[in-house]
Amino acid sequence: MFSRSALSRGAQLAARRRGCSQLAQRRGYAAASSAPSAFNYDTTEVAGVKVATRDSHGPTTKLAVVAKGGTRYQPAPGLTVGLEEFAFKNTERRTALRITREAELLGGQLAAYHTREALIVEASFLREDIPYFAELLAEVISQTKYTTYEFHEDVERVMKVKQAKLANDVSALALDSAHSVAFHTGLGAPLYPTTSTPLKSYLSEHSVADYAGAVYAKPNIALVGDGATTTALHKWTEQFFSSVPASPSSTVALNTKPTTYYGGEQRTSHTSGNSLVIAFPGSSFGSFKPEIAVLAALIGGKPNVKWSPGFTLLSKAAASAPGVVASGTNLAYSDAGLLTIQVTGPAASVRKAGEEAVKALKSISEGSISKEDLTKAIAKAKFDALDASQSGVSTLLSAGSGIIHTGKPFQIAETIGSIDGVTADKLKTTAKSLLDGKATVAAVGDLNVLPYADELGLKV
Amino acid sequence: MASSYPTLAPFVMKRPWLNNLLKPVANWYINAAGYRKLGLRADDLIVEENENVIKALKRLPPKEAYDRVYRLRRAFQASTVHKLLPKEEWTKPEEDVPYLQPLIDQIHAEEKEKQALDSLTVIRKH
Repeated sequence: MFSRSALSRGAQLAARRRGCSQLAQRRGYAAASSAPSAFNYDTTEVAGVKVATRDSHGPTTKLAVVAKGGTRYQPAPGLTVGLEEFAFKNTERRTALRITREAELLGGQLAAYHTREALIVEASFLREDIPYFAELLAEVISQTKYTTYEFHEDVERVMKVKQAKLANDVSALALDSAHSVAFHTGLGAPLYPTTSTPLKSYLSEHSVADYAGAVYAKPNIALVGDGATTTALHKWTEQFFSSVPASPSSTVALNTKPTTYYGGEQRTSHTSGNSLVIAFPGSSFGSFKPEIAVLAALIGGKPNVKWSPGFTLLSKAAASAPGVVASGTNLAYSDAGLLTIQVTGPAASVRKAGEEAVKALKSISEGSISKEDLTKAIAKAKFDALDASQSGVSTLLSAGSGIIHTGKPFQIAETIGSIDGVTADKLKTTAKSLLDGKATVAAVGDLNVLPYADELGLKV
Repeated sequence: MASSYPTLAPFVMKRPWLNNLLKPVANWYINAAGYRKLGLRADDLIVEENENVIKALKRLPPKEAYDRVYRLRRAFQASTVHKLLPKEEWTKPEEDVPYLQPLIDQIHAEEKEKQALDSLTVIRKH
């Protein structure tokens, strides 16, 4: 009833190639790998596009276009999310519905999401379908139509739902306001516009199309393949991505101001929960600081052993404050980082846990950390880094954004050696310099109870 | 041709001799129908009580939608007082362009594609 010629050329290609690609691409699990390590990405430039591949010889592939189009680069609010929602919509060659159904037929999954730095258009699929999805990704980034009715009927509708969801998410709001006081513009832009952000004058299908022209150009994108052979990916990149514009095709300029850390305090009253974020300048991808990684592991938060608060300082602090979820992480970006301690839960407990967390930091700066705890923290920092470089999403992201920012992927695993070199003294001076410098404190929730920065003993 | 009213137009348009033969008749009919004398366009007469047309109306650019409502209200008023508009306000033949039909066609095409994709069977030839 529905003949094969009605499917687009990419699907046909994928189907036709199936036979021969099995011979060429499938390799037994026991065969020796030619790549130096299954964890590292090989980077080359094919047809002007930077392509990174790593092959773990599994049956599935994840292919993503990582573009320099996250919220820090948008010249006006909402453009990144607009562009994200427009992914896989009508293109010059097929409709959004056809894209979805064809992907379903091949068992693929399509996703578009963004971080503060990168915009990712991603497809996960069976190994042999790589030509179809390579063509699809190239088509999405270079031939999307950005129609008015899709903007009103789909993009705006979905955005409103997501904004409504975000309006009740105090921890996301607290993290956003911490970023905005820490970095002001650029990295300080909220990850998703809130319901009260005035978008009307900035966001339209035309402004999104202009932003797409600036973002989806060869110097601003990287194609990352996880689980694809280098030869196959290069071949299809050459064929399909040569039509992507070689330089930005619109007059919109990306906001590429380097990041400066400011610090400060912001308090927002909110009815649906309480969240407190205490943040300090952290370690970035560009200049990795092993002390910060160990400090983040030492602050910790979630216990990694059952039925015990664990050794980390924050989980000990949270144990005395009932109902609190606390975590300490280093949020790394290309030219800046934010070491954050986030506490969410009932107001009184959040206050208590916040005070305890600052006390814990002070105890580190006074050097009262036991040797065992330091050893545990170093081991945990190493495990976290290696685990992150092993699993799918974060590696794809860090490899992609590494390539678009510095030309080579951020290889998390390479930093392991330096973590071993962290001593108690180094940790002490790092914690001291953080506490002496300007901190960032963001409180969202019941402001009658949540503490001010000076009540916590921090300088802002 | 998916249309919101039955039409032989595509059949006639494909045959220039038939088109030329019927053109004067068509022009006479348009004039006799009288909608232009009320300042309307042919696409203003498309029946609105239809899901696809409602959707198409929502997709009109704001200016077009405003002008459409203005034309309709002016025609209602003229019809109520049993008068034709003054001659200079009649719709000129070059103004009488399809502005809604392309949107309706687009929605029809989307629907047809959806039905085709919903009932497709995959034939693997290998």
